[in-house]
Amino acid sequence: MDINLKVKQGLRIRAFYLFFIMSGIQIGVGVMGTPKYIFLDAQQDSWISVLMAYAAMLIVLWVMLLILKSYDNADILGIQVDIFGTWIGKLLGTVYMLYFAFVLLVVLVTYIDVVQLFIFPQINTWLLGFLLLSLVVYCVAGGLRSIVGVVFLFFILSHWLLLLLAKPISLIDISNYQPVWQASMIDLLKGAKSTTFTFTGFEIIFWIYPFIRNKNQVWRPIFLGATWSAGIILLNTLIVIGYFSATQARTIEWSVLSLFKIVELPFIARFDFIVVAEWMMITLPTMMLLMWAITQGMKRLYHVPKRITLYAAALIFLVVCGFIDEHHLIMALNNQANSIAFWIIFVYPLALLPIVKLKKAWQSRSKKGAKR
Amino acid sequence: MKRKNQRKKHKDDFFPKKIDELEQIMQSKFENNQDLTFTIYEQDKGQRAAVFFIQYMVDIDQVKEYLLDPFLSSQDAWSTPSLKNDIPIADQATENTLEGILKGLLVGKVYIYVEGEDEALSYFLLNKKHRQLSKAENESVVLGPQIAFTESLITNMNVVRWSIRSTDLVMEKMMIGHKYPREVCLVYVKSVANQTDVNTIRQRLEDLDVDDVEDSTILMQLFSDSSSSMFPQFYATELSDRFTHDVKQGRIGVLTENSPSGVIGPSTFFSFFESTEDMYMRWNIGSFLRLLRFIAIIFSIFITPLYIAAVTYHFEIIPTHELITIGKSRAVVPFPPLFEAMILEFLIELLREAGARLPTKIGETIGIVGGVIIGQAIVEAGLTSSILIIIVALSALSSYTVPNYMMGASIRIIRFPMMILAGLFGLIGIMYGACFLVIHLVKLQSLGRPYLAPVYPFRMKDLNKALFRLPLQFQNRRFLSFRPKEPYRYNRQEARRKHDVDK
Repeated sequence: MDINLKVKQGLRIRAFYLFFIMSGIQIGVGVMGTPKYIFLDAQQDSWISVLMAYAAMLIVLWVMLLILKSYDNADILGIQVDIFGTWIGKLLGTVYMLYFAFVLLVVLVTYIDVVQLFIFPQINTWLLGFLLLSLVVYCVAGGLRSIVGVVFLFFILSHWLLLLLAKPISLIDISNYQPVWQASMIDLLKGAKSTTFTFTGFEIIFWIYPFIRNKNQVWRPIFLGATWSAGIILLNTLIVIGYFSATQARTIEWSVLSLFKIVELPFIARFDFIVVAEWMMITLPTMMLLMWAITQGMKRLYHVPKRITLYAAALIFLVVCGFIDEHHLIMALNNQANSIAFWIIFVYPLALLPIVKLKKAWQSRSKKGAKR
Repeated sequence: MKRKNQRKKHKDDFFPKKIDELEQIMQSKFENNQDLTFTIYEQDKGQRAAVFFIQYMVDIDQVKEYLLDPFLSSQDAWSTPSLKNDIPIADQATENTLEGILKGLLVGKVYIYVEGEDEALSYFLLNKKHRQLSKAENESVVLGPQIAFTESLITNMNVVRWSIRSTDLVMEKMMIGHKYPREVCLVYVKSVANQTDVNTIRQRLEDLDVDDVEDSTILMQLFSDSSSSMFPQFYATELSDRFTHDVKQGRIGVLTENSPSGVIGPSTFFSFFESTEDMYMRWNIGSFLRLLRFIAIIFSIFITPLYIAAVTYHFEIIPTHELITIGKSRAVVPFPPLFEAMILEFLIELLREAGARLPTKIGETIGIVGGVIIGQAIVEAGLTSSILIIIVALSALSSYTVPNYMMGASIRIIRFPMMILAGLFGLIGIMYGACFLVIHLVKLQSLGRPYLAPVYPFRMKDLNKALFRLPLQFQNRRFLSFRPKEPYRYNRQEARRKHDVDK
């Protein structure tokens, strides 16, 4: 397996789009429910937890870029093979892919659950799964460039929802934030850990990096993208804390969606229906990028044509998602994803960096030795 | 000597022939046809020559005045070189194959063959009947040139040449169709147009293996990128100013013989919503008109499905007092909202189709009968609600704001799957349709260039050509997404400079 990828010039994308890829994959189903889970740990200081998670994410992103920059044009699959050898490297790559598949499944069933909760309680899970997966398949079959295009357009087409938040913002009770700094450091860290699942997705950088055209400019869009998604999560957390009372914030499921219930226009009485439908445009980019990563991984590790992986994976997801239709099961899966993601996306890169650096140093030393 | 040797190599040379033999061959080719005029003239010295042509393809007056008169009054012995001198027509050529002669006869050439010569002389004295240039009827504009293309390629080329007076304008002719060949003309400005695009379109045209091309619009479908898509990937226009404007900006035009529409490529999705009028208007008004059209399209696609979704599944989203009105007007309607809307949309499509097929005068009557009388009767009979009539009429009206007829048709057809989706899955169905459309548009290409440019791939500097307009001093760039050879139209600093006060 080649450690570095050769990507045709026509298939590469501008670093500019990393902003949209970052926020497209990070802002997904997680945002809808996270404020509640952070609130359970850190109470009215939840927003500090979000900021802490944001700082941690920036550090990890920086570490990821350090790792990637020690190679010419490699992705995480190639790097793992380079460092741990073919067998362990491929095994780790497979684990990474299974993790992606798991996250994709969780996103899929969570969105279906939300639709069933808010709009159609009776609708068949398989039917909704088929609708969503058919869109994913149709888009991913167009290749990375069309995925990035769709991510970009969906970003623009869905962000008008932010304007609707003006109404709940105007109803915020400032006293809900007080007193500040009540939560202990442990609680704050616990709260920060609960945000992991929302922040997942930025590990896609590890996969997409070889496809970037202008690599010297990657940091800014990545940084801004991470800041944007963290900003949106922070905003939503702040509004949830301020708008709901403490008991409500602790008990209301999908509290962010509930924020939109109060919004009203002369011709539309209940906005939450439209918001839940519109959320499809927020969920799909996550699923598309994850699906692309799975097809890319299968191609890299096992030389399976992307189309075959795509159809097979979609079929498996479709079959599996129909069996996961219990709300508590989905919540359990979300928690599970949260804890797995914490290890894979936050801890793993930090552990990988010293190994990569050591190996590189050792390589350059032995090269020098050979020259002498 | 050398020349004779060369000649001998071509054993299948048609000439020299006896005149009688030639006449027989020609008559046999035009069996049962009285089209061919084959006249044999004889000089005093016994030398014979034949003049033959198809009567209605040539200009008889010219044949008599410029060809036959000097030919017959010539005092010298006839021979090909002497005739070349005697006959005062510039467009002459020689021909020595039967196939070439037959082809030439069909495009209006007159042939003279002197017995015993190696080749026949041909003169191009075409008499082509064509319609006078007239006002554009299908794409009407208020301001700007009204002239529309006609079915004659020569006339269209003349019109284009007059608008682009530059030696850089290239008009490449090629023949397409192996059974009924037809002239197709590739038009581009060589110093501006992207060479890759020119090569691509030329390649696609040359690779076409069809028996016949009936019209530009069919040619357009033959070389389009995706044949399964509902959207047109090339802009077909009958307005010559639209055509020349796009060619001047570096796009490539295709004109076809006997077709009154020119095809422009590569085209973007947004170019189908711009009219030349936006440019002739002042920039702020032009921007407004363009914005209006985009809003109209979104409105047209989504408003009826939204009604269906809201009334079928999500009546919570309708405010209470409006819900009462809708409920009242729907109380007598026996159908579910989907059928109700389908009936009305179907009616509107019927009216449009009937109006387009019927002669203009009857068409207007149909409009009044359909719109006013049937509409009112349907509501009174309780088949649909009156609110839905308003919605459907508005959405039909909005769809007609699209300047391009083909895109307008696509937009109208898209509504039907959208309505079905809305009827089946409510808001989720509408969202599904919208997502599908976006993905589809992102994947589409026109001549290998992204269809959604400049929105994706995003290029800020091109937005003012697609979504809105800016004052002319900011319009100094060409459409960069298609990589023209010369990106600038004029100097930006010059354009923005202002005189000092009171100068």
